[in-house]
Amino acid sequence: MITITPKRAFTVQIQATCINVDVFTGKTIQDIKNLPITEGKETITLNDAFNITENKTVETPNITLTGDFSKVKRIGQGMKTGEIVINGDVGMHTGEKLSGGKIIVNGNSGGWTGSEMKKGLIEVHGNSGDYTASPYRGTSTGMRGGLIIVYGNVGTDVGCYMQGGLIRINGSAGRYLGYHMLGGTIYVEKDCAIRVGACMTGGKIIINGTVELLMPTFTVDSIKPKVKIDATQTAQGPFYVFLGDIAERGTGKIFALKATNPTCSSYEKYL
Amino acid sequence: MTKVIGSVVCTICGCLCDDLEVTVENNEIIKMKNGCAVCEAKMVHGYKSEERILKPHIRKNGKLVPVTIDEAIHEAAQILTDAKYPLLFGWTSSASETQHVGVELAEELGSALDNCCSVCHGPSVMATQEIGIPTATLGQIRHRADLIIYWACNPWSSHPRHVERYTAFTEGRFEKSEFKEYVQKLKAKASQKKVAAAIRRTQVRYQSPSRPKSALVEAPPQTLAKEGRKMVVFDVMKTMTAEVADYFVQVEPNRDYEIFGALRCLVNDQELDVDTVGGVPVDYLKEIADVMVNAEFGAIFFGLGLTQSIGRFRNVELAIALTRDLNRKTKFVVSPMRGHFNVTGANTVFAWQTGYPFALDFSQGYPQYNPGEFTAIDLLRRGDNDATLVISADPGAHFPKGALQNMLKYPLITINPDWNAISRLGDVVFPTQWCGIEQAGTAYRMDSVAITLKKVVEAPKGVPSDEEIVRRILEEVRVIKAKKTATDAADGNVSQEMVGSKKRRSKSIEKEMY
Repeated sequence: MITITPKRAFTVQIQATCINVDVFTGKTIQDIKNLPITEGKETITLNDAFNITENKTVETPNITLTGDFSKVKRIGQGMKTGEIVINGDVGMHTGEKLSGGKIIVNGNSGGWTGSEMKKGLIEVHGNSGDYTASPYRGTSTGMRGGLIIVYGNVGTDVGCYMQGGLIRINGSAGRYLGYHMLGGTIYVEKDCAIRVGACMTGGKIIINGTVELLMPTFTVDSIKPKVKIDATQTAQGPFYVFLGDIAERGTGKIFALKATNPTCSSYEKYL
Repeated sequence: MTKVIGSVVCTICGCLCDDLEVTVENNEIIKMKNGCAVCEAKMVHGYKSEERILKPHIRKNGKLVPVTIDEAIHEAAQILTDAKYPLLFGWTSSASETQHVGVELAEELGSALDNCCSVCHGPSVMATQEIGIPTATLGQIRHRADLIIYWACNPWSSHPRHVERYTAFTEGRFEKSEFKEYVQKLKAKASQKKVAAAIRRTQVRYQSPSRPKSALVEAPPQTLAKEGRKMVVFDVMKTMTAEVADYFVQVEPNRDYEIFGALRCLVNDQELDVDTVGGVPVDYLKEIADVMVNAEFGAIFFGLGLTQSIGRFRNVELAIALTRDLNRKTKFVVSPMRGHFNVTGANTVFAWQTGYPFALDFSQGYPQYNPGEFTAIDLLRRGDNDATLVISADPGAHFPKGALQNMLKYPLITINPDWNAISRLGDVVFPTQWCGIEQAGTAYRMDSVAITLKKVVEAPKGVPSDEEIVRRILEEVRVIKAKKTATDAADGNVSQEMVGSKKRRSKSIEKEMY
């Protein structure tokens, strides 16, 4: 196991794509220390900014980061195997394009966490920023597979253009949850802000709390007693089922818990 | 000696009106024809302000002291080279030639580069990247459009000649001006008001005065079905533009997105499960959708009410999606109401130089783009940069307090013609010429048409153009970097130990402001 701790508090952004199990594998501790990162415009080595130690007796997690990493971006980008544990806050683009392995954040994570992810697991034990699991600007392919679990709240525009996989949010979600969603599942334990599922054409969003305001472009379909989150988990209802976004001729589904959404009762006359 | 110069371009808003007639006497503008009140305020009076900066200044012991231009250039270049991650912000009131050099400077420095559109119409650009944009030049709209929709903007105040030159009140080749009808309507309204006031005064003795009506949307008037030009305004409040319009739809704040969604469904002949959307009854929206579909050439102009309210670029995205849907049935275009006179130019120049229109980062040696990550306010709010250069902008008056406080922790260089809020806070302050008055150049109109700006009067002696200042800073940065490389090579010391910008601002300056 490699343990990394910051040597000092950082002012400007650090881009550290090399903090990645695939990159570290097969390298000596000295090689790892000499890996290049950028601090602002300057290229420095990993050793210039971080203390790096190796513990050969422990195998997993492969990398442990301890301290404030909120200014450090792109940790675990494109990782295929292995496990990274971050004890503290972490910056943007953590686990971007993850295609395997596991990243556990025992703190808050920045924007674009798990962006364009294909496989693997990301667990955030604090809050996750805006654009979690959403793709880069202008890209129409979001998260394709894997699992993201956020124990706190998430920001806005989470799960945009999502095509597969599961995002489980144990707190509340911001605006534009599942924007332009094509497939996959998003489960929100608490409340959800406005414009949930806007422009979605497929997939499902399950909301166990209150929906602030449903888009007028959704039409009520039915009331269901329960809904499957994945192969092993089921959410108990009853749920209003809304279809949409009809402006996009979509067939995405929003499941809103009946008990917490009394304002949706006006839709019952259409059933 | 008096001379009259014709076809001068106004450098206020994105309309770039190019029909001004300026009278110059003794190197001073004394009169102007054709310009709006805002234009006259700047081009006849404002540019001669007593607040003009005439010499470069450097902050020494907390006070700004006049210095030579060479000293200021060297100091600015030193600050930018020493910083690990500087930010270059502004550019939208400069000519495109200056913006071009600015990109070169940002690349040389490995800095962040952003322009004012990140706080105005940046979301419009982002929406265009997501979905594309069916648009037209203002000339096309002037000659052909029979339905003009102003959404969340008030051109009567912000772009005073937009309605007169390009839309409802202009005589197009295929569409007539509605100005006469507007005057008639105005006269009728004034008479109605007089009659109503007379009745109210006679009745006030006998009954309690009637209370004002609640802010309900009125039903679409019969006149919307008329031939010829029609103007519809969607806004959260009744503005001057709304007074002029054939129909005004008052929407609830932050509900434009829902209304766009509903209109899209109605244009596509789909039914909605709700009765009102954003405070507007669906029946009214149906009529509006019919008017849109029946138009021969419709144009939607949107303003900051969409780009800076909840949803930002998503609002614009849906406005464009509505236009796309309408184009299946008729001809419709959509266009942003750009603010600063060359903000479109900043986007255009940055995009043809780097591939991206704003929110740029050169720290990796190549351009990266991500609004939210590299936009000025986001960078400053997180405190991610350690030196700032502000050119032709005034974040001192417009940025949030937190962002400004972080900006002032580190050295600040300003290039502005007058002592605005940010110039007063600078560590290195450059004077510069007024672009389009004392300096010629190129600017892009809101519909991306390039227009040449004229030089009308001579600048005060010793005041350089901003292009010259940026170019000289760039040259000085190259000299400093070459010297540093030579010294490192001579010492055999190539370690990348961070030098950083150690020069923190004294707390007294921050206190001065807050």
